[in-house]
Amino acid sequence: MKAFTALAATELRLLFRDPASLFFMMAFPLMLLVLKRGDSGAVPGYVAMIVAIGGMGALPGIVASYRERKVLKRLAATPISPVLLLGAQLVAQVAAGLAGSVLLVVAAITVFGAEAPGNVLMLAVAFLLCSVMVCSLGFVIAAVVRNTRGASLIGMLVMFPMIFLAGAAVPRTALPDSLRRIGDFLPLTPGVEALGDAWSGTAAVFPLLILAGIIVAATAVAAALFRWE
Amino acid sequence: MEAIEVTDLRKTYGSTRAVDGVTFTVRAGETFGLVGHNGAGKTTTVECLIGLKRPDAGTVRVLGEDPARRRQALAQRIGAQLQESSLPERIKVAEALRMFGTFYRKGADWRQVMERWSLQPLARKAFGDLSGGQKQRLMLALALVGDPEVVVLDELTTGLDPIARRETWRLVGDLKAVGTTVVLVSHYFDETEALCDRVAVFARGRVVAMGTPDDIVARTGTASLEEAYFALEGADR
Repeated sequence: MKAFTALAATELRLLFRDPASLFFMMAFPLMLLVLKRGDSGAVPGYVAMIVAIGGMGALPGIVASYRERKVLKRLAATPISPVLLLGAQLVAQVAAGLAGSVLLVVAAITVFGAEAPGNVLMLAVAFLLCSVMVCSLGFVIAAVVRNTRGASLIGMLVMFPMIFLAGAAVPRTALPDSLRRIGDFLPLTPGVEALGDAWSGTAAVFPLLILAGIIVAATAVAAALFRWE
Repeated sequence: MEAIEVTDLRKTYGSTRAVDGVTFTVRAGETFGLVGHNGAGKTTTVECLIGLKRPDAGTVRVLGEDPARRRQALAQRIGAQLQESSLPERIKVAEALRMFGTFYRKGADWRQVMERWSLQPLARKAFGDLSGGQKQRLMLALALVGDPEVVVLDELTTGLDPIARRETWRLVGDLKAVGTTVVLVSHYFDETEALCDRVAVFARGRVVAMGTPDDIVARTGTASLEEAYFALEGADR
């Protein structure tokens, strides 16, 4: 446990030392909120966007680089399992996403006078499931794509269309019909729905179940395909 | 007492016999060299010693245990510096030492290790900003944070400038002085000659000669370990 805590704390510090992660998970969503004149309806979507940027935009490249640069192998020569490093990366991404989201929510409420979230407990559950879900997809990308550049690139290529089509960056009602229908099949869509429902206070369980199902399936795929070197 | 016993070790990748029947023992407190050109089977052998690879055949015992079955327990007692392994670019020297310190049950005090290996001035420097020699020194220190009984050093000085190499040799000498068993993998013959009590000469997955460097030189009627190696390598072909 001591080792895992140390790994997770280190991974989180490394994320905060990365200017790109810091900008896209902390500053960028705030900028969007200002552009939207503080429209609180956009906030749950932005939260989904923050975690997707971390879990799919950053995580695959980080994990692939740990494999390519033999960081995982070095850990395999210590008493701990290299799986712990992947777990630590997950915890760090969830924590960084939480920091960015709290910053965004606090800014929306204090600066723009948004109403506080309707169901805080459900919002917490939705946040946790949504952020773990995007990380599980990130691990699938890191498992399938072998090198660092490729994993980063594919991560970005999957993440960017998804945050638009799933209603995270822009509401799906603003999309043309055909594009909106694509969103029905994207894993981030139930994440945006769950966060939006919890924010407005209507507690729908169905999107949460879908998120949990995606986590189980993606983790199984990643575990089956992941190569340690 | 034998710290390491390897008997008829075999490991095949596809159709390549990386290790083809290797046998040797390393006594506790000894500095033992695995020498030979790239692809001779040295790295695969040490990866079997630390449980990263599972032998196809043969037995490996390190401190009396089977690394393939007891990797995690043995890792508490073995320190390893692996070929080309690295750390996240932005991790700082002190952070890495402290973090590795949490992996071991007993272990040395990471601050003392940092001081002993003259890493104090680099404590707040990121791994990615270190020079090749500094990185190597850190990786060596990380291998010792767990206060190991056996240390495996693979390609310790590859890519280092002559001054950094000599400095590293001195540090390995320090390990020997405190009674640590050292397995040193190298393709530098001068290094092996200077540091090792005994040497196993590898060629094409086999051990073609074993003994003290002086022994091997005398037996082959050559003037240096390097010449002895080429004589043995040629004879084996």
